[in-house]
Amino acid sequence: MLVPYLLIGATLFVLGLIGFVTRRNLIIMFLCTELMFQGIVVNLVAFGRYPLHGNVPTLDGQAFSLFLLAVAAAEAALGLALVVLLYRYKGTLDAGVWTLLKDD
Amino acid sequence: MSGALLLTMLTLGGVGLYLAMPGGRLNYGRAALVVLAGAAALLVALVLPLLGAAGQRVWFALLAVVGLWGAVRVITHRRPVYSALYFVLVVIAVAGMLLLLQAEFLAAALIIIYAGAILVTYVFVIMLAQQAGGPAGYDRRAREPLAGVLAGFILLGALATRLANAAGEGMNAAAETDGGVGTVMNVGTELLTHYVVGVEVTGLLLLVAMVGAIAIARRRPEPSEEGEVA
Repeated sequence: MLVPYLLIGATLFVLGLIGFVTRRNLIIMFLCTELMFQGIVVNLVAFGRYPLHGNVPTLDGQAFSLFLLAVAAAEAALGLALVVLLYRYKGTLDAGVWTLLKDD
Repeated sequence: MSGALLLTMLTLGGVGLYLAMPGGRLNYGRAALVVLAGAAALLVALVLPLLGAAGQRVWFALLAVVGLWGAVRVITHRRPVYSALYFVLVVIAVAGMLLLLQAEFLAAALIIIYAGAILVTYVFVIMLAQQAGGPAGYDRRAREPLAGVLAGFILLGALATRLANAAGEGMNAAAETDGGVGTVMNVGTELLTHYVVGVEVTGLLLLVAMVGAIAIARRRPEPSEEGEVA
């Protein structure tokens, strides 16, 4: 019962990871972090519903997920403010443009 | 779960995702669709025997396929607006899964907060930074798609084989309840008794994030030479 949900959660997380690594658009990269959050929410709630010890559903996973939602909202607000600022400087969303700290 | 079937599914998924990635080559969209559909069919075949009641199986298969399809489109679509809209699809599918897991309040909160609030911010920012004349060059070509897909699917393969072994060992069959696990009352009681400090800290975090976002967004870029902006 637990395993299918964990599998879907892992797949969502990995897809977000791949997107974060391969896409070059700053907004899409942030969107991919949200995709990873979705995978984690599925995992947390599944572990709460089908706990490994005992067979009484617990609510800890859902409480963690609610905190995760708050963190995701804060991250989206700050991240998008940064993206807007970066866009104002260079007029592009390409992540490869920002090479200030690159050693070459 | 059989290991060979699992590996076939992962390979198909990886190949399909690589073909679907935006790249400089010809459009392999249709081939990618066929390969990914095969992977999805294998996934459903693998996972369904592990699930309980028949009604739950159908819903789970539907939500899994829709959610993963949306996730693939989020990371492969060339237009950021469509990526954001496909992400709404993922959120809805995940909310459906939370309903199956009897997290009723969390499912509603997820849709309201993600699809209602966070995604609207994303769409606004995409509109602000929209470029005329089709997708920009950096949206049309992915960065190292082969290495990214390989790394991701190796990680997924490691996780999935371990999970398949765990399923073989017979994990705990949890008690079946008639819903009502994650109602507002239960979740609220849990939050305000066990996690009350966390709630306070979360409030502080949101306040700081709000102040920070306003402070960042208000900054004006000074005209100076490239790379010198502070």
